[in-house]
Amino acid sequence: MQQYSMELITAFLGSLGFAMLFHVRSAEKLLFASLGGLLAWGVYLLMGFFSGEDVIRYFFASVILTVYGEIMARVEKCPATLFIVTASVPLIPGGSLYHTMEYFMDNDFAACSMQGLKTLLLAVSIAVGMLFPTSIFQLYQKLVSKRQ
Amino acid sequence: MDVTNLTPAETERLAVMAEAERANEYLYQILDIGQHMLQSGAEVSRVEDSIRRMCFAYGAERADVLTITASIIVTIYSHRFGALTQTRRVTGMKYDLNRLELLNQLCRIVCSGQYEPEELRQALEEILSAKQYSFGVQLFIYALISSSFSLFFGGSVMDAVASGIIGIILKFIDRTIQKTDASPFLSAVLCSCLGGLLAGAAVRFHLGDSVDMISIGNIMLLIPGIALTNSLRDMFSGNTISGLMRFIEAILLALTIAFGFALAAGIL
Repeated sequence: MQQYSMELITAFLGSLGFAMLFHVRSAEKLLFASLGGLLAWGVYLLMGFFSGEDVIRYFFASVILTVYGEIMARVEKCPATLFIVTASVPLIPGGSLYHTMEYFMDNDFAACSMQGLKTLLLAVSIAVGMLFPTSIFQLYQKLVSKRQ
Repeated sequence: MDVTNLTPAETERLAVMAEAERANEYLYQILDIGQHMLQSGAEVSRVEDSIRRMCFAYGAERADVLTITASIIVTIYSHRFGALTQTRRVTGMKYDLNRLELLNQLCRIVCSGQYEPEELRQALEEILSAKQYSFGVQLFIYALISSSFSLFFGGSVMDAVASGIIGIILKFIDRTIQKTDASPFLSAVLCSCLGGLLAGAAVRFHLGDSVDMISIGNIMLLIPGIALTNSLRDMFSGNTISGLMRFIEAILLALTIAFGFALAAGIL
């Protein structure tokens, strides 16, 4: 439990750090962007009850965070990218990508290709997870603008 | 040339030329906005869409836009001035979400009302000179990210402190290198190598417990995880060329970083 709360707090702080690194300036947007990071990791941890597969947990975390990003973009009237990029920071397979390259440098090609494939799958599940809500929101917007 | 003695065909030609000249000026400004959107980290599809909308707002009857990460090509058509094409070479990409948001707003204003090219240029300049975080705050940001992810991946408090301090040192190095306009890969090698050495030194002097846990915080600053994810997103939404370019860039950068850390491990 203590480990989970630590992960959630640092996911929040890490997203905050990246939001600031990417020059987000308003305090309100900084807060919502970092809350997105916390939400993304929270969903990832919750999905652990249903599935042990990282690919599935990342996928659902990414779907939820994109829905959150699209909603916040409409509330705050700014591009959804702002929330999606910063909130996905705890999910991005940076560590995994690094280990892949580490094996490569160690000449351990079997481990490298295993880890590389895993990294790629994680990145794919995040990317595909982002795709669905974005398309649905775009479709909705088209329908609304046609009706007007 | 004597203006009074022109045939009707010639006057018409002159009118078309004047119209084309004006359209060219507008197109140049629109491309400026598109270029800065792309450089601040906008998706390729968003840039294409914004440019197309702005062209329509200024009276183009058809606008064909092709954007890849390195270039923008726009051709507009209208019965008043014929076809016009401009291209723009785009280099470098650095996330600046505040600028992106302001550019997006500008784009919306452009689409709703009529701006003169001169006004457009001024509005754009104002956005480009918007205030940024001071160097002190940037140091804090590097420390915050490093120590957060050191803890996130299971490091101890001492690891987080060491990682934060190394993060600050890396920011200094990064700034010095960026002043010299060197390749981003050089910066990545130097930063990761130094990061690895400092993490090793920190453990040796009992400032931290685990080299891996200290390093992972610094790695999150350097490793192109976001670029990797976004490159796949680009490819899935149909922008295969841009996606591939960003994908290869991300892999190369990750390799360079691993090489830097391997170098440090070899020295230690």
